[in-house]
Amino acid sequence: MDLDKLLETGDKCIHDEPPSCEAACPLHLDVKTFISEIERGDLKKAYKIMEKRIPFTKIIGRICDHPCEAHCVRKEAGGAIAISELERYVVTEGYSPPKKTLPMPKNKGRVAVIGGGISGLTAAFDLDRKGYRVTLYEKSNRLGGGLWSYAGKGLDSEIIEEELQKIAAMDIELCLNTSLQKDDLKEILQQYDALYLATGEWQEKLQINPHSLQVEGTSIFAGGGLIDRESMVMAASSGRRAAISIDRYISKVSLTASREREGIFETPLRFETEDEEPLNRVKKTEAVFNREEAAKEAGRCFKCQCVKCIKACSHMRSFNISPDAYVRQINHNERIILGTHYANKMINSCTLCGLCREECHLNISMKAVVQETRESMVEKNKMPVSAHDFALKDMAFSNSQRFSLVRGQPSKEQSKHLFYYPLISYSKYVQGLFLGTGKTAYLFYPGCQLPASFPDYIEEIYRYLVGSLKGDVGIYLGCCGAPADWAGRKQQADENAKEIRRRWEEMDRPTFILACSSCSSIFEKYLPEIKTISLWEIFADYGLPVSNNRIQERHILNVHDACATRYNTKIHDSIRKIAYSLGYQLQELKYTKERTKCCGYGGLVYFANRQQAEAFVEERVREGSGDMLVYCAMCKDLFVSGGKKTYHILDLLYGNATKETGLRRMPTLSERQYNRAMVKKRLLKEIWGEEAMTAEEEFGYNLIISEDIKHVMAERYILLEDIQRVIDNAQRNKERFYNVENSSYLTRLRMDNVTFWVQYEEMESNINILSVYSHRMEVVEE
Amino acid sequence: MSKGEDKNHQWICDKCKVQLKLKKVKVKYLEGNFEVELMKCPSCNIVLILEDLARGKMLEVEKGLEDK
Repeated sequence: MDLDKLLETGDKCIHDEPPSCEAACPLHLDVKTFISEIERGDLKKAYKIMEKRIPFTKIIGRICDHPCEAHCVRKEAGGAIAISELERYVVTEGYSPPKKTLPMPKNKGRVAVIGGGISGLTAAFDLDRKGYRVTLYEKSNRLGGGLWSYAGKGLDSEIIEEELQKIAAMDIELCLNTSLQKDDLKEILQQYDALYLATGEWQEKLQINPHSLQVEGTSIFAGGGLIDRESMVMAASSGRRAAISIDRYISKVSLTASREREGIFETPLRFETEDEEPLNRVKKTEAVFNREEAAKEAGRCFKCQCVKCIKACSHMRSFNISPDAYVRQINHNERIILGTHYANKMINSCTLCGLCREECHLNISMKAVVQETRESMVEKNKMPVSAHDFALKDMAFSNSQRFSLVRGQPSKEQSKHLFYYPLISYSKYVQGLFLGTGKTAYLFYPGCQLPASFPDYIEEIYRYLVGSLKGDVGIYLGCCGAPADWAGRKQQADENAKEIRRRWEEMDRPTFILACSSCSSIFEKYLPEIKTISLWEIFADYGLPVSNNRIQERHILNVHDACATRYNTKIHDSIRKIAYSLGYQLQELKYTKERTKCCGYGGLVYFANRQQAEAFVEERVREGSGDMLVYCAMCKDLFVSGGKKTYHILDLLYGNATKETGLRRMPTLSERQYNRAMVKKRLLKEIWGEEAMTAEEEFGYNLIISEDIKHVMAERYILLEDIQRVIDNAQRNKERFYNVENSSYLTRLRMDNVTFWVQYEEMESNINILSVYSHRMEVVEE
Repeated sequence: MSKGEDKNHQWICDKCKVQLKLKKVKVKYLEGNFEVELMKCPSCNIVLILEDLARGKMLEVEKGLEDK
């Protein structure tokens, strides 16, 4: 994995970029934290935040010309935050004397500052702090310059005097009543390593570098009124920047490197206000805000931060993380050689749904980042086995003889027993068989989850397709490889795709009819050469199947689009068209179509972090007031498990959209495999007149499994079949423990990489299961 | 005697019909190899792992090793 590229992606994230007010402040006051402290009522902290950035805080805090406010995003929603008024409030109420600091040894060099206004004062103050011996020249008999014009206009003379005492108390040489002219500079420069010119005016026009404030490659730097005569805060900022430049100049360091954000800059942060309620500026009742007014005004601040993706993603919120921090954690996780990979769980809790990219102003895709990370973990053998083991075994089941099947449409010869009147007149299926050409034009690929959830519909759909489409329709049962892809097992997904490609070529390249959104995205990614069409498009375009069971009751439905096909507008439109044709009213959710959310199953999160999957379900089911309409089997399973009435589009089409269907418990993991095997058996028998070659294993006893135990089995990924094998081994080989107190048995069997334990009691020919559990650790019995 | 050990003593080996004994047993997972004391049948060597152990300490160690 290219970690530098990864970090670059993380750096793009604007989550923590400064808000526009802070970027527009020439001194970069941390406005957001400052305002948060006011809201919390901690004025001392608020003052300290000001003091950190604003020189002569008690002065500037009262007279700042606040360029920040013009950039406040609250502007459009009730008026900009009164940052300047809040500063005035804090300098009045929150002042506490600064901690005494030890003076720096003055051994870095000598600097002359010409001009005792706010810019010169700031530069002198900062340079003294940095360890320079500073001489401050002022033409008048007092420091302060233009500051005195504010006396009595929002600023008391006492405060100016008090703040200027700071300079007097420092080790700065003051030369008052000293007016220096252009001709004096030569002599002055000989005495000093650098000079800061902060006079309001100068006798000649200077070429001042706008970034470093250096005058044409000399040791002279110029700011204050020489670059901006209007703004007090700009003057202070130029003094501060000049001090940095002079320090760099004397230390022989680049004057320009990494200083892009010193002055006013444009922040990349974006904050959307359209959903925000407008709130008007709080009016002050006296000269300065009172506590209540200040807190209320501070409360209007959005504390701007880009959280668009986080707001939409249950996963990032569960881990309380933003993409930039997420990337840093992945980077750390990837670089660990010895030690714990703490981010594993987080990485396996992303549903890979891709909504983050859709929400992001910069199209950052955490899906792509997490997918690549998982692949890297697999490659390095650092992927926790237990996270995806069950899902991969389930995939193997679907591609085994138990479910996998490829068949062309039954030939005319095979079907001739059906070609009799009146069947041939009214059965479109039989007509379809009669028109058979022997060349497979379409292959119906229902995927693995649809047959598991809706075993009864597959045969009906197949008959519909044969009767509706021009050209032969075959069937292909199997798994597309989505679990391998989600688990980061690219190679396995590639091999799976290769097998599908081989079958496709064998069948002379038919169009695949897909009914599962995950299959659609996998085909797009791994098999772009195969032409596909969604089953929903066929229903929408070729007419709905005839069904006598369809109910008359019409609910208002919220469509939940599947995240795997968030960009497939044909599917979105088809689903809506089908629902409208059936007479349902639809209500779109806020997060819909390309902005849809994941149900919680995606990315195998359901297996790697069940709690996370449940958080997705819980959030999504609360978003709409109507019942839910879905077209992915897993979405239905999960929403029903979250107590939401949810209908699969097939429930509407084939007539089982009653309230009971909406809440019917979905098949367990064991039942899902059983259903798949049954679908294959039934299709072979009913359509092709064949018997399945694989017989289900027979056990000579009846298992009694309570609902509670079934629940535990699902939670621990233990299948009925696992239990049967464990018990069969115990009964045959007596490899078991006997409980002398309650006469139950406890037995174990290691299968593949898991040891399964079953506690049971024998009740005549029945076996009552008392508990089931498993572990991956191997116990050596020797 | 702790509750866990108490539960252990309710079980005998059904095949050999003997009491289980606390013995050192090798367990392994991924890169980890340990020796722990567990109840086993002194005759056929079958080792008893109760649910509390499997779902508790054992799972914790498994997860820890998986994240190494």
